[in-house]
Amino acid sequence: MRLDFTLNGEAVAVEVPPDWTLLQVLRRELGLLGTKENCLEAECGVCSVLLDGRVVNACILLAAQCQGRSVTTIEGLGDPERLHPIQQAFLDHGAVQCGYCIPGMVLAAKSWLDENPGRLPGEDEIREALAGTLCRCTGYQKIVDAVAAAAAALAKG
Amino acid sequence: MDGVATERRVVGRRLPRLDGAGKVTGRMVYAADFALPGMLHGKVLRSPLPHARIRRLDVAAARAMAGVRGIVTAADVPAVRYGTAVRDTPVFATDRVLFQGQAVAAVAATTPEIAEAACRAIALELDPLPAVFDAEAALAPDAPLLHPDWASYAALPVLAREGNIAARARMRHGDVEAAFASAHRIYEHRFATPLQHPGYTEPRAAVAAWEGDGRLTVWCNTQLPFDMQAVLAEILDIPSGRVRVVVPGIGGGFGGKLRVGVEHYAALLARRTGRPVKVMTTTEEELTAAYPRQATTITLRTAVDREGRLLARQGRVLLECGAFANSGPGSAAICMQILVGPYRTPALDLESLAVYTNRVAAGSFRAPAGPMANFAVESQMDIIAEDLGMDPLDLRLRNVVREGDLGPAGEALAGVSVAECLERAAEAIGWRERRPAPNRGKGLACSWWMTTGGSSGVFVRLAPDGTATLVSGAVEIGTGALTGAAQVLAEELGLELEDVRVAGADTRDAPFDYGAQGSRTAFSVGNAARVAAAELRRQLCALAARRTGLPQEAFRLERRAVVGGGHRIPIADLARESQLSGGGLIAHGTYINPAPPYDPTRVENHPLPVFNAPSFHAHAVDLSVDPGTGEVTIHDYVVAQDVGFAINPTWIEGQIEGGVAQGIGEALSEEIVYREGRVLNANLTDYKMPTAQDVPRVRSILVECPSAAGPYGAKGVGEPPCIEPPAAIANAIAAATGRRVFSLPMTAEKIVLGEGG
Repeated sequence: MRLDFTLNGEAVAVEVPPDWTLLQVLRRELGLLGTKENCLEAECGVCSVLLDGRVVNACILLAAQCQGRSVTTIEGLGDPERLHPIQQAFLDHGAVQCGYCIPGMVLAAKSWLDENPGRLPGEDEIREALAGTLCRCTGYQKIVDAVAAAAAALAKG
Repeated sequence: MDGVATERRVVGRRLPRLDGAGKVTGRMVYAADFALPGMLHGKVLRSPLPHARIRRLDVAAARAMAGVRGIVTAADVPAVRYGTAVRDTPVFATDRVLFQGQAVAAVAATTPEIAEAACRAIALELDPLPAVFDAEAALAPDAPLLHPDWASYAALPVLAREGNIAARARMRHGDVEAAFASAHRIYEHRFATPLQHPGYTEPRAAVAAWEGDGRLTVWCNTQLPFDMQAVLAEILDIPSGRVRVVVPGIGGGFGGKLRVGVEHYAALLARRTGRPVKVMTTTEEELTAAYPRQATTITLRTAVDREGRLLARQGRVLLECGAFANSGPGSAAICMQILVGPYRTPALDLESLAVYTNRVAAGSFRAPAGPMANFAVESQMDIIAEDLGMDPLDLRLRNVVREGDLGPAGEALAGVSVAECLERAAEAIGWRERRPAPNRGKGLACSWWMTTGGSSGVFVRLAPDGTATLVSGAVEIGTGALTGAAQVLAEELGLELEDVRVAGADTRDAPFDYGAQGSRTAFSVGNAARVAAAELRRQLCALAARRTGLPQEAFRLERRAVVGGGHRIPIADLARESQLSGGGLIAHGTYINPAPPYDPTRVENHPLPVFNAPSFHAHAVDLSVDPGTGEVTIHDYVVAQDVGFAINPTWIEGQIEGGVAQGIGEALSEEIVYREGRVLNANLTDYKMPTAQDVPRVRSILVECPSAAGPYGAKGVGEPPCIEPPAAIANAIAAATGRRVFSLPMTAEKIVLGEGG
C-alpha cells in the first residue's frame, strides 16, 4: 500500500503492508524511534503522537487512516539545542526519570494546550489530559507541574 | 578534607539531570529501540498450562515456514540450571512445565509476526499434572513436589531447604514464652498480599550478536549488567570474558529487570542462526512470565503491656516464590526485619518460608518484602492502638527504636530518626483531627529500609578542556542516581555539574558495579567517585606544586582551578600539561558499604541478616471512602523520609512521588489475578496501574539525619517510598469506615462488601 502523509511538516511517501499500524510505519519503516512501543493495545500511551494536532495512540491506528493527513511525533518538536517550551518545562521541573513515557506525555500535553490556546489549565484538567499515558517513575506530580508551567510560558508568548 | 573547598556548591542543589535533553526529545536510545543490520526477531513459545508433562514437542512444521531461521528448545542447550539463590531454573522446560508462561521453545524469523506464527505452529502436547497454587497448600505433606531433585541443586550455603520449601529462615531473641504469658493483651492477625507487576513502561528487550571469534555482545535493559554477563556465560557455557553486556538505555525496572529475562533467548537464537537476534516481551508475557512482587501470607502475633509497650512478637511469613526460587529466599527473610519494624521488641520469634508453587517465578519488585510486611505490622499497630484506646501515633512513639538501640539482628542502630519522621508526617497531615468528616479518615505508617551493600568501582578522567568523565558500570535506571553521583564528583573536584559526563553500563569498558538495586547507586557510586576525586586532587596539586615550587599542601580545588599561595591555575591547563607529558589525569575509585556487626545467635539461615546504613520514614494520608461504592479518594499524602543528606532534592522528591504512586497501586488496585494457575488479567486494561487521575499530590519532607558511611551523610532513597502506602491507606480506610481490610489490593468491593465476597 502506498501511503502519502505529512510527517513533522514534511511530505512522506512510503510503501507499507496495508495491515500495518502507524507505529509500525514510524519505527520500522522510517526509523523514528522517539515514538515508543509497549502494550500495543492503547492502554499505556507511550506511542502517543498527534494526528492533525490531536493526540492518538499510534499502536492501534492503522497507517491507512493517516492517508493525506498530518502526523507529528516527538522528533517534530524541539531538538536538544532548541527545546520546545513544553520540553523545556519538563526538564526544568524534574519531570523526566526513565523517560520512556515522556515523548507520549509531551505530545499529550501539546494536544491539550493547542486545543485550548491561551488558557491556563487547572490541575484536574491537566491530569485528565495526561491520563491516557502511564508513567511508573514519577507519580505524575512533576509532569503536571511542568505542563502547568509550559501553559503559562506559552500563554505569555 | 585535604584539598577540597569546605563550602558545598554542587551537592544539595536542585540541578537538572544529565540525560534529560535526550529523553525529552525522543533521541535517547533504549534497549527496546536498539537494532542491528540483518537482525532477526525472536519469539518465545510458553506453556499454556501450570503443571504438565511434555508428551510431544515437535518443531518440524514451524522450522519449515518461510522466514523462519532457527528454533531452539531444551534439546539444543546445555543442561544448565541457573538462579540467584538456588540453581533451579532451566532455560527451557525439559520434561515438565511448572507454570503457565514457562518457556518451551524460541524461534527466530525475519519478522516478529513470522516468529509468532511459527511459535503457534510448534506441536506442543501436554499431559496435565496435579498442581499447587498457594504456599500454604504447597507445605502439605502430600502436595505435588515442584522440584523432586531439589536436593541436588546448588544453592547459597546459608539456605535451609526441603521439598517445596526453597528457604526457611528465622530471627529470634529473648524469652518469647514468658513475654506472652505476662502480656496484658495478645493480638494475632493474618494478612495476605498478591502478585504485583513492577509496571516498567519499556518491555524487557535484548539484541544479541556473536562475533566470528566466539564473542557475544548483548544490548539489553538489565539493571545488573555484570550479573547478566556472569549468568549468560553460565547458560551458554563460555568464559564470562567472552560476554559483553551493554545497557544503551532502560525504561524503568523497579527490580523487575534484575534477572535474565529474554537475553539468553536472544543469545541462543543468535548462535543458532549466525545473525543478530532481538527478543522483546509482549504485555501478555509481562503479566504471565515476568518477575512480579511475590505473594505473601503473614501471620503476626504480638504481646503488649497495659501501657501499650511491645513485649514480644511471634510470626510466620509464607512467601510464594512460584516455580523457581529466584529472589524468594532473600525477600522472605527480609520480611522479618520489616515485620519487626522500627520498634523496640524485647522478645522475638519470627520464621520465614519461601515456597514453591505452580505459578510464575516471582522476583524482587522495589523494596522486595517491604510493603507486604509493613502492611501487616502497621495494620496491627493501629488495631492495638484502637483496642487499648490509644492514639496510633502515641503507640508508635512509645515503641519506636532510638539512637543506639539494637536492631533485630542485635546490631547497634545509628542515625535513627523514625520518631522525627512520624512527628513531622503527623503534624503535616493535621493528625489531631483524625476523623475530620463522616467517611473521612487519616492513617499513619512508618518503616525502615536498608542501603544495600555491594561494591562499586569508577574511573574518572579529566580531559584537556577541564571536564571530567565518570566511567561507571552502574545503570542509570531513571532515578537520577548517576546525576547525584556526578554532583558528588563535581563537588569534590571543584567543577560544575555540567562539566561532568557519565559513561559506562558496558561490562567491557567500565569498572564493576553491583548494579541498580537496593537503593545503593547514588550512595555507592558517589562514594567511589569521592575516592577517585581525592586521587585526582592529589595529582592536580602535585602538578601545581611542581609548576609553582610551593608545597602540594598549599593547594585546593575551587571553581575549576587549583588555587593556593596566590596562584590560580585552571584545571584544564594542568590536564593539558599532563596529557602532553604524563599520559593524562585519570583515577580509579572503589567503595563497598560495610555491613554492621551483628549477633549471629539471633539469626538462622538468613542471607541478609543486617541492614546497612538504614533509612527511616513515615507516611500519612488523609482520604475519604464513598460509603455506597467503596471508592477511595485521597485528599492529601505526606511522606517524611530520612535521606541522610539530600544530594539533589528534586530527584529525591521524584523517588518519593513515584514510589507513593506505585504504593497506591499496590494498596488499591493492582493484582495479577489467577484462577487454577492461569492469569485472568494479562493486559493493561485489567491490570490496573494508577494514572495521573488516580494519584494525589504528595508532600515530601526530607529529614536529614546523616549516615556515617554515605556521601555527605546520604542514605539510600529509592526503594522506601513504596513500602508504607498500603499500611497507611489501610489505617486511613479503617479510620474513615470503621472497617479493616486484611488483604491487598483493598478494592472497593472488599471495602464495602467485606473480604469474603
